[in-house]
Amino acid sequence: MTSIFKLIVISVLASCITVAEAAEKDPTSSAGLVADTENAVAKPIFKLGGFGTLGVSHSSQGLGDYVLDSTFPKGPGLSSNWATSNDSRIGVQVSANFTPKISAVLQVVSEYEADSNYRPGVEWANVKYAFTPDAYIRVGRIALPTFLYSNNREVGYSYPWIHPPVDLYRQLPMTNSDGLDASYRFEIGEAMNSIKIIYGRGKTDRPTSTSTAKDLRGIFDTLEYGPATLRVGYQERETSTLNLLTGVSGEWVPNSDLSIGAIYDAGDWFAMSEWIQRKSTTKLNAMYLSAGRRINQYTPYLTYSRNSQASFLPGFPAPTESAIQNAKRSESTASLGMRWDFMKNADIKLQLDQVHLGDDSNGYLANVPAGVILYGTRFHVISAVLDFVF
Amino acid sequence: MKPQILFRNCLAPFLAMSMYAASACADVVVVVSAKSAITHLTAEQVTKLFLGKTATFPNGGNAVPIDQAEGSSIRNEFYSRIANKTPSQISAYWTKIIFTGDGYPPKQLEGNLDVRNTVANNPNAIGYIDRSVVDSSVRVILAP
Repeated sequence: MTSIFKLIVISVLASCITVAEAAEKDPTSSAGLVADTENAVAKPIFKLGGFGTLGVSHSSQGLGDYVLDSTFPKGPGLSSNWATSNDSRIGVQVSANFTPKISAVLQVVSEYEADSNYRPGVEWANVKYAFTPDAYIRVGRIALPTFLYSNNREVGYSYPWIHPPVDLYRQLPMTNSDGLDASYRFEIGEAMNSIKIIYGRGKTDRPTSTSTAKDLRGIFDTLEYGPATLRVGYQERETSTLNLLTGVSGEWVPNSDLSIGAIYDAGDWFAMSEWIQRKSTTKLNAMYLSAGRRINQYTPYLTYSRNSQASFLPGFPAPTESAIQNAKRSESTASLGMRWDFMKNADIKLQLDQVHLGDDSNGYLANVPAGVILYGTRFHVISAVLDFVF
Repeated sequence: MKPQILFRNCLAPFLAMSMYAASACADVVVVVSAKSAITHLTAEQVTKLFLGKTATFPNGGNAVPIDQAEGSSIRNEFYSRIANKTPSQISAYWTKIIFTGDGYPPKQLEGNLDVRNTVANNPNAIGYIDRSVVDSSVRVILAP
């Protein structure tokens, strides 16, 4: 954590505590919401909330661990029959509105980390200045909005699946960035368009390596009209990976992600799809297509997702043997699931995945013993979660 | 009201034994203060205001949406008619907005009279109430 970032976290915490005390002394402060906003006297409003998911999953492939992305050290399969690590987490969020223009948010999340613990980490800590209700800038640790569900991928209650479709979402496990973003929304006829730019740096911890991203810059546009949402995003960054086993840091490599996503939510039924093209020393793409139907408090859904093998781009040094092997990883997943909104602010979900490993690799299975070849095979994963918000 | 909509909004919850109790089929109307300059909004515009996708009326004025209590039949009917969304969908929607740091749901008041009186006294407010409690202090701008 850089010292500037520490400073931001401390100031957000300090301001939240100050506001919490103010809110305690003035129980009527939330009445400010209804006041005529032209004449509103600025009274700080302090809010505390949280979300969580308790999950368990089982994989029928006992020769490797089924993990959602490369940050997980292990999962169900080889290490254990059943595991809670893939889908369990808890988050707490404190936000404070100091004035109608200035607010701050701090979110702390505890989930399974690359070093096999659930130590809570700061997911976001930022201060927001809203020029108008439709334009703001934020400084601090900010959600990285790569995909449609990036901002809320840790909040299971906010989407239909057990987790966002893995074959696409695992392609960029980095969820936040330290820096700033700016957003502006405006109407185009009856449609709402919002455009966001981001600049910062980030870090991804994996069991045996740490990737650092610098000069991260991106632009994202979201158009919403009635039941339809369309999103296009592009981001670039320079990435270097430190191998924790050898202590050797890799060269800075330019990375870019182009993403396109759409949601159509008619109320009774819904469908969504995303596609991403990722470039570093290699190029690959990933996509998913999902659809579901709401029948009272039950939401059955189907999802298909896949990623391609990566092809090497010209202009880089000859790849290592392990890079060549990594580039061959491809997987596809067909999922059938059901969400049950059994009570207010909580749901239970069940999902069955059939995972198909590509013909030239063991896919994204972790901890597969040397010499075990599972190329082109299929296996099943069954998962259940309880999501809640408070 | 089209028969199909009547079924969806009024009868379906009874038949389905939904967990969200719907006690009666209220005739919901969207209102602003009689002092407001707004005379009409479309369902899409009202939806955007109540889902926090915009904070201003089409004429540029600040808008303060006033919601009804969670679980109330008028609230369920309002979101069903205006946005074709169930109570769980509205709840999941705000979960996403809150935990992405993008905002908070509108202030909730308890009951039609409270909403009507608050809207009547605030030219920036917009609310929805049962048609039976409309009086000269508020103006109906949409009957979804």
